[in-house]
Amino acid sequence: MPRAVVQVPAARAVSAGLRTRNRSALVGSAIVASLIAFAVLGPILSSHDPYASDFVNGISPEKLPVGPSSTFWLGTDRLFRDELSRLASGARISLFIGIAATAIATVIGGIVGIIAGWFEGRLVDAALMRVVDVGLAFPFLLLVMALAAALDHTTPVTVLLTLGLTGWLGTARIIRAKTMQLRNLDFVTAARALGQTTPAIMVRHILPNVAGPLLVVATVSVAQMILAESVLSYLGAGIAPPTPTWGHMLFEGQDYFSTSPWISLAPALAIMASVLGFNMLGEGLRDALDPRKQ
Amino acid sequence: MRSIRASSSRLARGLVLGLGLATAGCSKELPAPIPTAHPGDPVPRHGGMLTSATFGEIRALDPANMGDGLVPQILQSLFAGLIDYDLEGKIVPDLAERWTVSEDGTTFRFVLREGVRFHDGDEVTADDVKRSVERALHPSAPNPFSSYFASLAGYDRFVAKKSDHLDGVTVNGRYVVTFQLDKPDSSFLPVLAMHPMRPVCKSGGDRYVDTWLPCGAGPFKLLPGGWDRGREITVVRHEGYFRPGLPYLDAVRMVFHANLTSQRFNFATGEQDLLRDFLAPEILKFQADPRWKPYGEYELDKQVAGMSMNTEMAPFDNIELRRAVSAAIDRDKLILIRASNLRPAHVPVPPAVEGYDPTLAGQQFDLPAALEHMRRAGYRYDPVTRTGGYPKPIPYLTYAQGLDEYMVQVAMQQLARIGITLDVRIVNYSTFLALRGRRHETAFGPAFWAQDYPEAGSFLEPLFHSRSINDEDSNNSAFYANPRVDELIDRARRELDAEQRKKTYREAQVIICDEAPWAFTHYYRFYAQWHPYVHDYKPHPMWTTDPTRTWIDRTSGKIAARSIFSGDALAKLFGDGTAGRGAPRSAPP
Repeated sequence: MPRAVVQVPAARAVSAGLRTRNRSALVGSAIVASLIAFAVLGPILSSHDPYASDFVNGISPEKLPVGPSSTFWLGTDRLFRDELSRLASGARISLFIGIAATAIATVIGGIVGIIAGWFEGRLVDAALMRVVDVGLAFPFLLLVMALAAALDHTTPVTVLLTLGLTGWLGTARIIRAKTMQLRNLDFVTAARALGQTTPAIMVRHILPNVAGPLLVVATVSVAQMILAESVLSYLGAGIAPPTPTWGHMLFEGQDYFSTSPWISLAPALAIMASVLGFNMLGEGLRDALDPRKQ
Repeated sequence: MRSIRASSSRLARGLVLGLGLATAGCSKELPAPIPTAHPGDPVPRHGGMLTSATFGEIRALDPANMGDGLVPQILQSLFAGLIDYDLEGKIVPDLAERWTVSEDGTTFRFVLREGVRFHDGDEVTADDVKRSVERALHPSAPNPFSSYFASLAGYDRFVAKKSDHLDGVTVNGRYVVTFQLDKPDSSFLPVLAMHPMRPVCKSGGDRYVDTWLPCGAGPFKLLPGGWDRGREITVVRHEGYFRPGLPYLDAVRMVFHANLTSQRFNFATGEQDLLRDFLAPEILKFQADPRWKPYGEYELDKQVAGMSMNTEMAPFDNIELRRAVSAAIDRDKLILIRASNLRPAHVPVPPAVEGYDPTLAGQQFDLPAALEHMRRAGYRYDPVTRTGGYPKPIPYLTYAQGLDEYMVQVAMQQLARIGITLDVRIVNYSTFLALRGRRHETAFGPAFWAQDYPEAGSFLEPLFHSRSINDEDSNNSAFYANPRVDELIDRARRELDAEQRKKTYREAQVIICDEAPWAFTHYYRFYAQWHPYVHDYKPHPMWTTDPTRTWIDRTSGKIAARSIFSGDALAKLFGDGTAGRGAPRSAPP
């Protein structure tokens, strides 16, 4: 009986999105798919090493980086390295950090939200929500920057952990609200009546029903994480060079903007596209999951 | 695959087109220079304010406490010394009318000009000179240059507080002061011409206090409120300056924490008269523009930089590994990352400094030799199979968002060719300085040094003499100690014959280059650009700027006299708004 009312929102959302030709979801999906393809195929298609300076072909007679050409499709950066190769390598890192940090934040936020929502009004709920309140009192980027600056040595793993461990607060709030709504519905009451334990109800009945909102939040969160990683790298608190990151590429190019604007424009466009893509996808999924728009 | 390539090509063409358009949109020509109001008229004009800016700032403004690199150019305006450096870098009389040196080089007798006035109106006398020297050398003063004067008789007793006065400085009448050294010291006059010993007003007291309003006998003076800490400083003309008719300017202003883009914009609009902090490619644009080219000039190479290898820590306690690193660095390539400011460094002493020897090859890029040094070090590396080399990444400590962040990325590529990989750790600048100078803390990292006085000893002694090793804040960041090098540096300092001194410094440099506590990488030289209405400006070889004889003649642009003090003190001091507008002319002194 309870299983009959359990829905599979994530799968339904995607299919609904496609079925209803949800424009946001489709455009967002296309952008995200392109980014993933770029991250995977870019380094393979490019013959240049993203870490190697080319002091022969990558430098102009004025000792400046060369612009876009058939040799360097996006020109070279201030150290005369192929901009396209670095952009593609940076895409791998940005997407990896964005997705992995979101996964961490989603798991933590989901667990905390479900527990707090289930035990609404009790001590565990109060304690968890005060932690969330304290965390949300800090501006997210400020909190992340403080943590990153305090770390002795920043690597992709430390950055994604920093982002993931600080990015779950909003998710927990949303999932708590949804859980509070669900816990009073008939199918949950029925599961209780059948003698299912609280953990079992949470896993079998609550979790599948909050998966939809969780997916929407997670999709938007990827964009936030990519942006946050870029901000950290731009401000020098991110991954140490020479590892290419979009934020740091943006920083490296700013001094050269008047003479070699491609150095900054390429990562800026990539950041913009990825944030736009994930936001549109999240927006599309939200619309697809909204019963009022079905 | 074919379709992917075709799509990629279309994408690439689109991006090339888009970026090309963006490039065209962004590559604006430089603005036109602001012309002088009276072309062809060489007679200096009084008035106006000269404005410059910097991304840095100063924390103290006292001859007895000048730890910041920007301080000398401001102190030069405020404090006159017994002797000074002229625009050619030669030592010339300033407050002292003349001086004599005994044959054994241990007694220096200075005769002061009479009637020279401090900013507060008091006369500068020999007593003020002695008081100022004792104030600057007393251990209560945070004077980083104190040890430069260790050859003064009685110095050790004075800094140990066993004596209230410095025996080596004696007053012989109102206008005569004598400096007695324990032993000959070729660097005594060069360091005396620096700022720490410059006479300060009686309000400066006998001992250093950090609440004092700086007051000296220089061409400009600081009024209360003239230094807005962390933002800007403005000094105004000292009407009682001892050189008649000078300075020409009413005021000199320096803005702190000005980012490079803002400086560039303010310079273009004439809000800023001088530009020294350039975005890297901008220098090339100014130099290539015939309208600007006559009004720009490189300053002398006064800074050396390199990669410091801690000789007390693994793996750089292995001399062959240090030699391998120094031979693997391709300096000609390295400097291309900022070609407009950098020149390759092969020896520790920069070209503009006495003791530089152009015949000394020093450290040179030699890949086969570097590989051979790796083999001798016990870390044979095969560049074909890319096997061998140093087995672990070597930690490299540097600071965020500085030039070295880029240098190290190229150096990493070069060191990878001999089997050395680096693990770059980036910290903020103050943390970097603290960790680099701490014993047994940092194996590898950037190091740099700017001259205090234009002699080789100003580089070799603080950087490579064992006396400069400290457990904290060690200037000798490689913790390099070689008794032979110590002896040569000490001997050169005692040597009064310039040629012999140069030979001794050369011998020390040969050893240092070979034993490679540093892999020298580059010399840094600033480029200064000014508007045509700024006259008689020339980068100073020691103090960066000395605006004593600079004058401005402009009628257009936004700048006139700007009020920085409450109640428009400038207008009160210098009359109404004539300042800065080609005010009534006067004959040059």
